[in-house]
Amino acid sequence: MIGGLFIYNHKGEVLISRVYRDDIGRNAVDAFRVNVIHARQQVRSPVTNIARTSFFHVKRSNIWLAAVTKQNVNAAMVFEFLYKMCDVMAAYFGKISEENIKSNFVLIYELLDEILDFGYPQNSETGALKTFITQQGIKSQHQTKEEQSQITSQVTGQIGWRREGIKYRRNELFLDVLESVNLLMSPQGQVLSAHVSGRVVMKSYLSGMPECKFGMNDKIVIEKQGKGTADETSKSGKQSIAIDDCTFHQCVRLSKFDSERSISFIPPDGEFELMRYRTTKDIILPFRVIPLVREVGRTKLEVKVVIKSNFKPSLLAQKIEVRIPTPLNTSGVQVICMKGKAKYKASENAIVWKIKRMAGMKESQISAEIELLPTNDKKKWARPPISMNFEVPFAPSGLKVRYLKVFEPKLNYSDHDVIKWVRYIGRSGIYETRC
Amino acid sequence: MPYLGSEDVVKEVKKALCNPHIQADRLRYRNVIQRVIRYMTQGLDVSGVFMEMVKASATVDIVQKKLVYLYMCTYAPLKPDLALLAINTLCKDCSDPNPMVRGLALRSMCSLRMPGVQEYIQQPILNGLRDKASYVRRVAVLGCAKMHNLHGDSEVDGALVNELYSLLRDQDPIVVVNCLRSLEEILKQEGGVVINKPIAHHLLNRMSKLDQWGQAEVLNFLLRYQPRSEEELFDILNLLDSFLKSSSPGVVMGATKLFLILAKKFPHVQTDVLVRVKGPLLAACSSESRELCFVALCHVRQILHSLPGHFSSHYKKFFCSYSEPHYIKLQKVEVLCELVNDENVQQVLEELRGYCTDVSADFAQAAIFAIGGIARTYTDQCVQILTELLGLRQEHITTVVVQTFRDLVWLCPQCTEAVCQALPGCEENIQDSEGKQALIWLLGVHGERIPNAPYVLEDFVENVKSETFPAVKMELLTALLRLFLSRPAECQDVLGRLLYYCIEEEKDMAVRDRGLFYYRLLLVGIDEVKRILCSPKSDPTLGLLEDPAERPVNCWASDFNTLVPVYGKAHWATISKCQGAERCGPELPKTSSFAASGPLIPEENKERVQELPDSGALTLVPNRQLTADYFEKTWLSLKVAHQQVLPWRGEFHPDTLQMALQVVNIQTIAMSRAGSQPWKAYLSAQDDTGCLFLTELLLEPENSEMQISVKQNEARTETLNSFISVLETVIGTIEEIKS
Repeated sequence: MIGGLFIYNHKGEVLISRVYRDDIGRNAVDAFRVNVIHARQQVRSPVTNIARTSFFHVKRSNIWLAAVTKQNVNAAMVFEFLYKMCDVMAAYFGKISEENIKSNFVLIYELLDEILDFGYPQNSETGALKTFITQQGIKSQHQTKEEQSQITSQVTGQIGWRREGIKYRRNELFLDVLESVNLLMSPQGQVLSAHVSGRVVMKSYLSGMPECKFGMNDKIVIEKQGKGTADETSKSGKQSIAIDDCTFHQCVRLSKFDSERSISFIPPDGEFELMRYRTTKDIILPFRVIPLVREVGRTKLEVKVVIKSNFKPSLLAQKIEVRIPTPLNTSGVQVICMKGKAKYKASENAIVWKIKRMAGMKESQISAEIELLPTNDKKKWARPPISMNFEVPFAPSGLKVRYLKVFEPKLNYSDHDVIKWVRYIGRSGIYETRC
Repeated sequence: MPYLGSEDVVKEVKKALCNPHIQADRLRYRNVIQRVIRYMTQGLDVSGVFMEMVKASATVDIVQKKLVYLYMCTYAPLKPDLALLAINTLCKDCSDPNPMVRGLALRSMCSLRMPGVQEYIQQPILNGLRDKASYVRRVAVLGCAKMHNLHGDSEVDGALVNELYSLLRDQDPIVVVNCLRSLEEILKQEGGVVINKPIAHHLLNRMSKLDQWGQAEVLNFLLRYQPRSEEELFDILNLLDSFLKSSSPGVVMGATKLFLILAKKFPHVQTDVLVRVKGPLLAACSSESRELCFVALCHVRQILHSLPGHFSSHYKKFFCSYSEPHYIKLQKVEVLCELVNDENVQQVLEELRGYCTDVSADFAQAAIFAIGGIARTYTDQCVQILTELLGLRQEHITTVVVQTFRDLVWLCPQCTEAVCQALPGCEENIQDSEGKQALIWLLGVHGERIPNAPYVLEDFVENVKSETFPAVKMELLTALLRLFLSRPAECQDVLGRLLYYCIEEEKDMAVRDRGLFYYRLLLVGIDEVKRILCSPKSDPTLGLLEDPAERPVNCWASDFNTLVPVYGKAHWATISKCQGAERCGPELPKTSSFAASGPLIPEENKERVQELPDSGALTLVPNRQLTADYFEKTWLSLKVAHQQVLPWRGEFHPDTLQMALQVVNIQTIAMSRAGSQPWKAYLSAQDDTGCLFLTELLLEPENSEMQISVKQNEARTETLNSFISVLETVIGTIEEIKS
């Protein structure tokens, strides 16, 4: 149960404050500002207890969202609620920024009114909420009969996440496989930990109540099918992937997944996250970073970093950025790189090397000479890891969408008429190589 | 900024609201109202325009209505008479054909927190409960709880409660969940909503239809249900199985808790459940949502308390990444420290060693303490790493390493030699009080093995005048005196100087008194000094007792998925302690003042306990250390002098008892784990005449009583009786606090 919800900007000014329960007073708003936002030391925990009141906070860019309660609640649920709140707001007005919050101030109060009542979460699906929120506020009495009946059918309907009577002229769906690949590598090139956390996001513009079936190259499914045709196993055996764990949107019938491992569902209208998964085995690491740091005397460092792209030569990686940390007492840096642009950024204590595009199976190198100021500080430089950012047009986990079939028995369109788009994007999560 | 100039603002807004031109232009009118709400958000008191806002509520514009209702809900308690004017509009809206308007009006009306509103809202709520739109029913159901809250202690309306119970069968899933929440609040005095078999089964069948919030809530309510038979229990577990893999971590945790509680008599089921949620928990621990990751890590630590090996094969998942926030790193280090085993110790230590040189001093120190923790089991490797760290000659590292050494030497005497070899030279890199104290203590206690110990202490004595911390001076006095006993020739002169300084020049009274005390003690004679100062240099048994013995799952299952693992048990106890005191006022100080850690004995009880020994002509000598072997020998050779049975009910916290016993100078020699059956403990104590009291406590939960057997090495009834009365008081106090 949530007693109140506050939104602050980075200075601690209150942008939104909504109190749901009597036990949360106005002073709670100030208590959080003073104790957390204005606190000198870094944030100790996302859950703070001030005067027997628990504050759960989440930060999005420089906006603080805080949920407040006096009860012994389950923390995971409160954070999930805050994330959901952010998602809903983002679905309405895009990025969560001070400006957006200020200009959508009425809308946010409307949302807060609908998704929480007396501190209890109510309906929070963006699609379903759309019926209640009068963003432009021109409805009211002019509301048509049809819309009214929609509310009634929606609120009594069995399926909370989709309203009935949706119609599109063009039935279209978009599937995005978004993965972030995380790596921690030792200087010797040994993988200390690597995992991919991925999401399958679906944007559906389908009429009626379509029944969808989604298939991917999950090892367990392929093996099951492979029993019948040995031929197929040999063909696809290599390409199947082992998923460590996965979770689905509420709309997926879990019982069917457990028994047949098939993913079938009636999708919500618009964008939603179909599944979330994690793999740790056989990850394709798109880049390999080979660092070489040599200390030449007390006032000079020589750094050489080689990056190798490790994927099909026909694919192009984009937005590549390598961040090579430099010691605090750096006085000057000379950089030579074969490709892209590199700059020493004194304010960030790092050499930032940017490459716009890079094809697979290529190699590039940067070397830098770092001049150091002599210090009497005996502190040894801690050598933070070299981190990397990039975007590649494939899924580092190896996941492939095999099919997505759509059935709508009541309306006259078939699977073939639906236009389907699939896209794979692999991004770097925390991709670090120690040096 | 807010709070200033509010009068002008109110005046200006009021003028705008009354302006007929603005009223005619809907957009401008709404803009003014928005401004009012914005001021309200910023904390400005705009209750002055209440009247005008009430007028603005009579509109067809739903957005305007929503804003005005929000305003009224905030200020109604301040202006109850004016708020009554709005009731009319609200009542009218409650019978609007549009369900959204009906719902909105009903919700706002129930949220007007002012006296006397009940009589107006009762009828609309009852109508709302039977509304055909589920949107209105949802609002009405929660409205019942709000109405009950308004007049706190009033009688529970039986008819309403029955109606709510019947609404549990409503078609709409959110209405069902709201009903549970509402009933819970209304029936709080009677222990909340009753979950009987039909209700439980009904809820179980509806589970898959609910959204994640509903599922989490229902899982929480189901904790209350006691299945009649084993068969039913397993049916329920099978039904709920899929929720262990839900996409929402909150639901996963809720389901896990329910499983753990329902299967409390089947440890293998509990273990099985924990194995199955390993995947989801690990996923949450490496998720990008940092806050959830933090919560998951807290729960992982909780699980590790009972199943130390549970995550050992996944130790790499808990390696910190450079860019993670501080709070996650600290949690991960704690987890790493707890899941260490023979196979991964090398890699974990390697990783932790890397953290010790982190830029953040806080994090580096946490990593060093973690290595210190692991050192209790893997002493040699850890001491080597710590010694290497000293080589870095960094202040913030050296001080923590020395503190770790001090704690370690006390628990693992086998590493004394290595520590003593590592110490020379680190005095140059220690500036803070804690570090100095630790170093001085080590030099004092183990000085005979460190060749330059007297000279290091001498340096400290030279600089004693500029020393700012009295605690360091005290430590220095004790250490130097101890070292004097083992190496008199080198220390005599320095000790003399220090004593002179402390007695003649020192301004801090405690230090001065300590100096005087030692001076007088030295006058009595060297043997006496030895007897008093040369206490044992280590206590390995303490480590075993202090070690987080594997606690059964049941002792934390009820705390799972609450704030307890997030705050830590100790911190939570202090929070809830204050909350308890606040809620029950002065009637229940005993329950509320007792916490799992912190002051172990409530103040008032402590006095009582400490007075007792004097009254019984019995003085127990503190810190009388007895080895386990000696205890066993003596125990077997003596006859039972006294046997007694005390009533004992409910749960039991051995550490509490141990601490309480220590307060009255009764030492615990050995003790079974919490929750083991039967539970046993062996205690020893000695009085000032040298008479030994050996005690066995035996707790058999089925008899709900504690059996005490006391043996004495000199048969003296009067001291025996007073010893037993001391023991009785302690146990009685614990029992009292606990209940």
